[in-house]
Amino acid sequence: MTFVKKYLAWGAGALALLIAFIIALPVGKARGFDVSGFGNLPILEGGRVKPLDSLARNSLLLIHSRQGFRHDGRMVGPDEWILDTVFRPQVADQQPIFVIDDPEVISLIGGKQTKNRNYFSFNELGPHLDEVQKQAANAQPIAAQKRTRFQSAVVNLFDRVYLYYKLRNTLQLAGSPGLGWEIQSLGTPEADARHKDLIQLSHFRILPPLAGGSADAWQSVGQALEAGQTGGPLHPGLVPLAKLNAAYVANDPAAFNQALADMKGVVATLKPGAFDHASNELVFNRAQPFFVGLSIYFVAFIVLCISWLYKPELLRPTAYSLLFAGAIVHTLGLAARIILQGRPPVTNLYSSAVFVGWAAVILGIIVERMYRKGFGTAVAAVAGFASLIVAQNLGEGGDTMEMMRAVLDSNFWLATHVTTITIGYSGTFLAGAIAIAYTLRKHIVAKVDPETDRALADMAYGIICFALFFSFVGTVLGGIWADQSWGRFWGWDPKENGALLIVLWNAIILHARMAGYVRERGTMVMAIFGNMITAASWFGVNLLGVGLHAYGFTDSGFMYLVSFWITQVVFMGLCFAPARFWVQPPHAKA
Amino acid sequence: MIKTIASRAWGFLKSFQLTIVLLALLMCLVVLCTLAQVEMGTQGAVNAYMRSFIVWNQPLLLHLPFPGGALVGLLLTINLIGKTLDIKLIWSRAGMWLVHCGLVVLFAGEFVAGMMQVDTNMSIEVGQTVNYVQSYKNTELALIDVTDPTWDEVYSVPDHLLARGGSIAIPGTPVTLNVKRFFPNAELSNLAPGAPPSMATAGVGAQVSVVERPLVAGDNEMNQTSVFVEPMAGGRSYGTWLASLALGAPQSFIHEGHTYVLSMRLRRQYLPYAFTLKQFRHDVYPGTDIPKNFSSLVQVINPSRNESREVLIYMNQPLRYEGKTFYQASFGKNDTLSVLSVVENPGWLLPYVSCVLVSLGLLVHFAIVLRRSLKRRQDQKEG
Repeated sequence: MTFVKKYLAWGAGALALLIAFIIALPVGKARGFDVSGFGNLPILEGGRVKPLDSLARNSLLLIHSRQGFRHDGRMVGPDEWILDTVFRPQVADQQPIFVIDDPEVISLIGGKQTKNRNYFSFNELGPHLDEVQKQAANAQPIAAQKRTRFQSAVVNLFDRVYLYYKLRNTLQLAGSPGLGWEIQSLGTPEADARHKDLIQLSHFRILPPLAGGSADAWQSVGQALEAGQTGGPLHPGLVPLAKLNAAYVANDPAAFNQALADMKGVVATLKPGAFDHASNELVFNRAQPFFVGLSIYFVAFIVLCISWLYKPELLRPTAYSLLFAGAIVHTLGLAARIILQGRPPVTNLYSSAVFVGWAAVILGIIVERMYRKGFGTAVAAVAGFASLIVAQNLGEGGDTMEMMRAVLDSNFWLATHVTTITIGYSGTFLAGAIAIAYTLRKHIVAKVDPETDRALADMAYGIICFALFFSFVGTVLGGIWADQSWGRFWGWDPKENGALLIVLWNAIILHARMAGYVRERGTMVMAIFGNMITAASWFGVNLLGVGLHAYGFTDSGFMYLVSFWITQVVFMGLCFAPARFWVQPPHAKA
Repeated sequence: MIKTIASRAWGFLKSFQLTIVLLALLMCLVVLCTLAQVEMGTQGAVNAYMRSFIVWNQPLLLHLPFPGGALVGLLLTINLIGKTLDIKLIWSRAGMWLVHCGLVVLFAGEFVAGMMQVDTNMSIEVGQTVNYVQSYKNTELALIDVTDPTWDEVYSVPDHLLARGGSIAIPGTPVTLNVKRFFPNAELSNLAPGAPPSMATAGVGAQVSVVERPLVAGDNEMNQTSVFVEPMAGGRSYGTWLASLALGAPQSFIHEGHTYVLSMRLRRQYLPYAFTLKQFRHDVYPGTDIPKNFSSLVQVINPSRNESREVLIYMNQPLRYEGKTFYQASFGKNDTLSVLSVVENPGWLLPYVSCVLVSLGLLVHFAIVLRRSLKRRQDQKEG
């Protein structure tokens, strides 16, 4: 490789990192309003303090399944959307944000399924809300797994509408003259009922705890108004909020930005540090490291595929350097999550997907350094891409940094058991991915190349050993955690069983290979089957709906799992196909 | 001839084929046991598939017999021991040797747990003192002499004796219990007007109709064990009484100045020490219902050891005391009732030992393999 090519290759990686950096830079003001600064305000929701931006993104993801939308010919981001929702609901109500896919629900609200995705505004839903609520109330008592498709969809729609309804009634009651008027009418008897409504509908608490109170005692606007109603001192954050409200409604950016500075001052006095923590999380949200990472992995894989046909000596190192850049972004994202949350990397299904991908990529890079044949890059890029896609889909369920339930609240065990077992998953998947690469190569590449085959088989074998080690140790550590928390080492809980299956399967592969029952190809077929077992253990038990570990999964999860299984069976079949299907005759054309 | 058969059998028992077949069978069992939990509950599925030698009559297996977990585990242990003995005692095999020893210990641990582990629980309300643990599912009919206000004398008949029926003399008392009819699970309702009269002639049972129900095994289901019983003492009958888990109010009769209470309850084991619940905490994350922590502050009172001290039992921090381990398990009654699960497992240390042995063994083995492969690469470079 020449000097120039080397620099070209690494230049591609550097370019990818530069793009990732640019994405993380702050965006400009919308219509002169510092919406990003508004999104930076810390709030308490879901048991933790986070920037309003996180809530806006997660809510919009739930309601709209994207973090932004086009309206009136321009992009509306999450911060601007939440600003409209809390202060100008009359505007937000017209934005078509509710995505509805189910045709029966669409006909229930009197719409027609016109496109692939159908979006409705709150105003359009308005006349049918009573019916939606009635249908949802009928379906709610039924266990989630037993609901029909329509019932799931209508409950889902109701939950999203209710979330939106709460958001627009958190800082002021929608339809009222605003927060300033609410402060002026303190003490009037009618205000009591409105305060009660505000407290009941409040989705988040934006007013930091007062000096001298409990450190967790954040207040919602309704709570602060109620305290003021009885003649007590007014929370210092209420007036700046009211000014923000008035300025935004009056379309006065200068006054808005001034009031925002006042509000920041109040937060800084009452809860020093909260603002900085929120702005760190804001940067993390904006950077979207996992989305950027998966894009880079995708490009890396495409470049590598091209390298097999064209200019391999330039493109293969380029793909590797892109993979490396993707891994840096991925690692930074993972590290940022660990720091923001103060927890080990894996805390829920979403983060397990992020971590499985990360470990697979790191392993792939190591394999590539050892063998330098491009296969490590290929499987690492695919594994990283696929697992981050899975994570993106799992992340649509809300806040991915949710608080840990009491029994899981143990950083020591999260760090040891959960991390180890997840690395075990990664290893098994990576071995399976190498086996698939081996299979495809056998069928596509005409040249017989036993040396490369052996290298791939060695890689797979080494990684299976690695996976066995981590899955076994992780399983036993899980047993010890269970002994500490529930009093039994082993309870045959579905998740435990899933982990055990991975251990047993890897042990079978190694023993079968050692006894000589399987050779190169047999090991590869077995490694692909390992993918099926790992997927079942990782996600299948959540679909089963029993056991201590079942922490929720979407309804369509089962279909995805079955589809994945089918693809793996096909790969196993391809790998099994007799040798005459493998070797192409040199010049087959007539 | 016999020697060859024996050696061939031993050869089979320690063969790789058997290892792989057994591991594969174990995988099947694990899958079946997991699927069966949806219908049967965890305990039922584990008993049917894992704690039995042969699995009989399971719908998932189309009612065909299948080797059970205990049989597979036993054969695997024999296979493992055979293999372990076969591994040559040379340094390059030290890692594998440790791993397989550790596995033997792990299997032994699961066997001990399967055979000897006793799971019970203790429910205490704040301020209450409790000196017994109770079973989750098994029941007993208790006959309690409450004549002395400071001391209850408890006699109890376990459910499996009641199921046999007949008359049961209670040692230490003049009372004999005639079991008229036993229901492992039943549904109780108020006797409708015009319905056939109840078997009971005394107590609340006379106004109750009892319908037998099939046994349930789910994790959150309870069998309402019920029995019609006729206490006899001094040659006279005190009528037929209904005792049931579904009945709350105590029922009693008086014989020769002694008051006896009849009650069906979860089987109890009395302890030589007592726990008093001083405080129960149920913390949530601010502004949510997500639980953050549960903890019980208990006073442990043990006269035989002249001991009285406070212990805080909370998540991931159980109390190990006198061979039993007490875990924070549940709560109720508006956070004034704390439920501790109580486990007695003499083999609880074995998995820890095994974990250390296996991890160490794997590390040693991989170190040896790595060294060998590095050496080979070095040789290739030089050669």
